[in-house]
Amino acid sequence: MDRDVPPPPRIFTLEPASGVPIYRQLIEQVRRLVASGHLAPGAELPSVREVAAEYTVNPTTISKAYGLLELEGLVQRHRGKPMTIAPLRRSQHSLAQRLRQIEPQVESLVLAARQLDVRAVDLTHLIERKMQEQDT
Amino acid sequence: MMYDADAGGAPVIRVRDLGKVIGAKAILSNISVDVEPGSIVGLLGKNGAGKTSLLDVLLGFSPPSSGSCRVFGEDSFHLPAAAKRRIGFVPQQDELLDSLTGAQQLALNAALHTAWDEPLIARLVREWEVPLDRRIQVLSGGERQKIATLLAIGHQPDLLVLDEPASSLDPVARRQFLRELLDIAESPTRTVLFSTHIVSDLERVAGQVWIVRDGRLVWAGELDTLKESVARVTLVAHADLPSHLGLEGLVSQRTDGRCVQLVLTGWHDERQRELADRWGAEVTVERLSLEEIFLELHS
Repeated sequence: MDRDVPPPPRIFTLEPASGVPIYRQLIEQVRRLVASGHLAPGAELPSVREVAAEYTVNPTTISKAYGLLELEGLVQRHRGKPMTIAPLRRSQHSLAQRLRQIEPQVESLVLAARQLDVRAVDLTHLIERKMQEQDT
Repeated sequence: MMYDADAGGAPVIRVRDLGKVIGAKAILSNISVDVEPGSIVGLLGKNGAGKTSLLDVLLGFSPPSSGSCRVFGEDSFHLPAAAKRRIGFVPQQDELLDSLTGAQQLALNAALHTAWDEPLIARLVREWEVPLDRRIQVLSGGERQKIATLLAIGHQPDLLVLDEPASSLDPVARRQFLRELLDIAESPTRTVLFSTHIVSDLERVAGQVWIVRDGRLVWAGELDTLKESVARVTLVAHADLPSHLGLEGLVSQRTDGRCVQLVLTGWHDERQRELADRWGAEVTVERLSLEEIFLELHS
């Protein structure tokens, strides 16, 4: 397949001097861009080489990010072609797997709730309401 | 050609229990480390920590006092000529010939090497704006450094070693230079090892980091792993915390009554919950940049 339209330049913001490793920054940003719809299923990702050259960063940290995103099922690798954002995948992972992915965020949420003396039942209500808001 | 056998993944450099003593002083102690082909290794340390001494032994300029150092599988102090030709080196003090012009110096080195990559050098002369027609003695430090770098990469070395390579380059030239390092190491058989005190350069392009302190390697591993394993952790408890929390991997600690700030190695995210439960404290975790990690390891 010809690439008529090259991937948009600088879709990521990578901060090499951050305490967060570059691969983690990249994973987070792809997740967010997908969640927000900025990267739709089928969208092409710039190659490891392109990202490394564009941001002048070590390619191994980029390929680590892409590898982990592939494992997560968020992107798909194609032989000799750019990687793409995977189709929406509700059933690809079990509920347990999906819950495991969200666990770190839940942990920090629980921590914040404890610090603010928010009860579990109130927090749960808030989560339910927020999820309903997003569904509509 | 005779070394093709080790192109497929054997370490480019293998150091075991390396020690170097000069007079009565231990310059390097107990260093064991491997360098895999295709990697970019950044060597970080304070002035006098032993960076240049380590590079000298790796390159076979001086013998180890104890232990072993092998490059391309050969004893580094007795490297055969064929192995030496696979190495490119940019020393801290360049060894350019002052009376030559840049063009003459490049031509001299090109004549010494059959593998000289003239198109690459021509491209870099253009991109890096290297002055070729003036005598080297009138060039600036940065211009000299560019020529010294061209001399080290023109023969397409499999192992490129640079001692403080970008110290005299301006930010634009440094970025161009870093791109070139990435280009070189893109080949799975080519390896770059550079020492620097410019942490931001290292943070960009190095996949592996070595931190040398007082002649010892206090870290040798992936930069990503280093950043993940060091954290600054703040505990705020309801009552005064003891001054000794008995924690593993403690780098530094500041205690102020109910509040304790720690820098820990061997960090993993589960430790946050453990600390919170054990001390009944609010625990916040902050990630450190390489510069902060470096400073903490030297505090």
